[in-house]
Amino acid sequence: MSDSAPKEGQPLPSSQPSQKSMSKAERRELQERQRATKAAQKQQQQNQAASSSKSKGQSTPQKKTDFGRPRSSSSAVPKDAAKDASGALDSEGPKTRGLRIFSHFGLPKTLGHQLKGDIHPAIIRLGLQFSEFKICGANARCIATLTAFKSVIQDYTTPPQNTLSRHLMTYLSPQISHLVAARPMSVTMGNAIRQLKLEISGSDIDLPEQDAKDQLCSQIDHYIQERIIYADSVIEELAMNKIKDGDVILTYARSSLVEKILIRAHAEKKRFSVIVLDSRPLLEGKTLLRTLTSTTPPIPCTYALLPALPSLIKEVSTVLVGAHSLHTNGAVYSRAGTAMVAMLAKEHSVPVMVCCETYKFSESVMLDAFGKNELAPLKFSPSETPKPHSNLEVLDPLYDCTPPTCITAVVTEVGLIPPTSISSIPLALGKTNL
Amino acid sequence: MASDPQMIASQRVVEDLASRLRRRQVVGSRQSALETLLVLRQVVSRARFSNVEQLVELIRSVGRRLVDAQPKEHSVGNTVRKVLHHIREEYRTATEGTAPTPAVTFSIAKFVSQGQPRRHMAAPRSDATSVPLKENDPDDPDSFARTLKPVLMEAIQDVFDELETVYDNISKNAKDHIHSDEIILTLGKSRTVESFLKAAAHHRNYTVIVAETAPSYGGREMAKSLSSAGISTFLVPDSSIYALMSRVNKVILGAHAILANGGMFAISGSLLTATAARAYSTPVVVCAGQFKLTPLWNLYHEYGALDFGDPSAVLGFEEGDLVDKVDVVNPHYDYVQPELLATFITNYGDHPPSSIYRLLKETYDDEDNEL
Repeated sequence: MSDSAPKEGQPLPSSQPSQKSMSKAERRELQERQRATKAAQKQQQQNQAASSSKSKGQSTPQKKTDFGRPRSSSSAVPKDAAKDASGALDSEGPKTRGLRIFSHFGLPKTLGHQLKGDIHPAIIRLGLQFSEFKICGANARCIATLTAFKSVIQDYTTPPQNTLSRHLMTYLSPQISHLVAARPMSVTMGNAIRQLKLEISGSDIDLPEQDAKDQLCSQIDHYIQERIIYADSVIEELAMNKIKDGDVILTYARSSLVEKILIRAHAEKKRFSVIVLDSRPLLEGKTLLRTLTSTTPPIPCTYALLPALPSLIKEVSTVLVGAHSLHTNGAVYSRAGTAMVAMLAKEHSVPVMVCCETYKFSESVMLDAFGKNELAPLKFSPSETPKPHSNLEVLDPLYDCTPPTCITAVVTEVGLIPPTSISSIPLALGKTNL
Repeated sequence: MASDPQMIASQRVVEDLASRLRRRQVVGSRQSALETLLVLRQVVSRARFSNVEQLVELIRSVGRRLVDAQPKEHSVGNTVRKVLHHIREEYRTATEGTAPTPAVTFSIAKFVSQGQPRRHMAAPRSDATSVPLKENDPDDPDSFARTLKPVLMEAIQDVFDELETVYDNISKNAKDHIHSDEIILTLGKSRTVESFLKAAAHHRNYTVIVAETAPSYGGREMAKSLSSAGISTFLVPDSSIYALMSRVNKVILGAHAILANGGMFAISGSLLTATAARAYSTPVVVCAGQFKLTPLWNLYHEYGALDFGDPSAVLGFEEGDLVDKVDVVNPHYDYVQPELLATFITNYGDHPPSSIYRLLKETYDDEDNEL
C-alpha cells in the first residue's frame, strides 16, 4: 500500500529538505513540530492511559498540506507525528505497541467526493462498485477496469498540440488514482494497466486519432481474451484432468476460476462432491454454493465454516483454491484463510492446487501477510460486533500469504508447475509479456 | 431399600439433574461439575450403608446414570470419580487410625525393587483407633454410616471449594506467564482464560488478539469484556489467524476436557490455531481447572467429542433454497494432540502434556476409570 506521507515535517533527518529552501515561517513550523514530537515521546514513556475518546481518522494521508491537525489537549498527543502515513486513528493518545503495529493496515477509506479533475463517469461508477464490494475478486476487478478504460479511451479526444501516445497516459492517471482511492489496486489491475501503458506509448504517432483509439481498444480486448478468458479454459482443462470420479474436492471461499473448473468437470460427467469452506468477513462461499447447486443434476455439496476443517480434511482428496496473486518466491497471496486450509491439508498429505493465470504474477517477494494487506470495511461486521473504542479495535484483514511449502502445484495456462519454479515463468514467457 | 423415602428423594434429585443434562439445560464444564457435586452431596447425606463398598456402589450407579444422560460433559464423570477418590481416602484414614502410616523413605533401591510407593500397600491397623468403625454391624447398621458421614461431607466440601476457587488459583501466577508488550492470541469465550488475562493485566501491559470463533462467535463477548478491563484488544475473524500468527508471542486457549494422553477437547478452531502456532513455533498454553482431567483417550474419532452444533448457525433458513441441497457440518469441539501443546496451567500448578497421566493417577483411582 502506498503511504502518501506528507512531504514536509517528517522528523527524519534523511528526508528533510534543506533549510534554505523553506521560508522562515515553514522553518518555524518545522521546529515546533519537532519539539512537540520530542515532548510527545517523553510523555508517552510516562503514561499509557488513553483517556481521550477516539476520533475517527478523518485526517487521511491525502491532506498533504494540511498540518493544522488539532493539538488540543496534552493527553491527545499525536505521537504518531512520525507515523502520519498510517492515516488511521491519529490524535488518539499514546497507544500500546499492539495497537501501533497494525496501524499500517490503514482503515478502508471512504470514497472522498473531492474529484480532482474530470473523472469519467464510467470510472466513478466503477469506483463506487469497488468500494461497495459489488465487484469482488481479482479477475472481475481487472476485467471491469479494462472495460471501463475502453469507454474512457473512446470518449477521449486529444487536445491540440499533443500526441495521443503522450497525453493519454497523463489523462488516465487521475482516473487510476480514483480507483485506487476506492480500494487498493490489485496485482491484476496493476499488471493490466502496465500493459496498457506500454501499448499506449507504443502506438503509432501517424495514425489518425480514431484509428489509434480503436487499436488500443482492440488490444485491450485481446489482452482480456488471451490472458484471462483463454487462459481460464486451458486451466480448466488441466485441472479437470486431476479430478477423478469419486473425488472429494475442498475449496475455500469463492474463486471464479475454481468455480469454472468445477462446473466444467461436472459437465464432463465426472462424479465428485465438493466441500465449500467459508469464513467471515465476506462469506463468499455461499455464492459459490448457489452456483454449484444450480447445475443439473446438482453437484453434491457440503458447507462448513473454517473452524470445522480438521473434522472434514480426512475425507478430502484434493484442495483447489484460487489466488489473488503469485509472487516470485512461490508465495500465494489470496483470501484470508487460504493459508490455514493449505497448511492443514499439507499436514494430512492432501495435495493443494492453486489455480492462477499467468497475468497474476507479481515480481515482488512476499514473506508474510503483513507487508501488504487490506481491511474489510465495517459494513461487513454484523451488528453483534462490539463497537470499537479506545481499547478495542476490530480488524478484518481480507488477504493472507500462503508459504510455498504448503502448496503442491500451481495450475497455470502454461502447465502445472511447482511453486518454486514460479520465478522462471516470466522468463519463459518472454519478459515483455508480464 | 427402594421404598425408603430418603432413597426416593435421592433418586429424584439424580433424575432431575440427568434430565437437565440430557436437555442441555446445564452446559459448560464448571457448571455441570457444580451441579453434579450438589447432587452427590445430597445422595451421600441421605445414603444408608453399612460398609464402604455399598457407598461406593451407590455413588457409582449415580455416576453412571448421569454420565449416560450426557456423555459429552466429561466433568460430570470426573466429579464423581473425584468424590469416590476422596471417599476411599477418608475411609482409609479412618480405618488405619489417626496416626498416619509411617513416612515411606524414598530410596532408589526400594524404587527399583518395589516400584512406586503406593499407599494401598500399608497394612490397616484395626486396633488402637480412637473412632472405632464397625462395619456390617448387625445390631446397629447405621453406625458405620453415622461415623463416616461427617468426614465425607467435609471431603465433598473440599471439592466444592476447589471448584469455586478454580479461577482464582489459575490466575495466581498469571503475571509470570505474560510479559510486557506481548501479543497474546486467544479463541472464543473461556471464563478461565478471561480471568487469567485480567489478572495479568493488573501487572503487565500487553495486547490480546481475540479470534471470533465462528459460528458461536464467543470471541465478540470476550473482546468486549477484556477491553472493558483495560486490555488493548483486537477482534479478528478466524480466517486471519494464520496471517497474524507471525506477530503473536503466545497462544492461550481454554479446554473443554483434558484427556489422558495429554491432548484435549477444545472449542472448534483450536486445532487450526495450534497448528498455525506450530508453524511459527509459538507456544500454546492451555488454562484449565483440574476438574477437566478425564481418564479418556481419543484414538479413533476425528470429530472431537462427536458433538455437533446447530447447522442453522452455519447456513440458516434465510438461504432457503440452499438448505435442502447442501450438507452442513458444524462440529462443536476439536481434538488437539498433545504434541501441539506446550503446557497446561491448572489450579494446582503447571504441567506439560507428558505428565498428565501422573496427575490422573493422583487424582482418581484406577478402578473408577470405567464407572
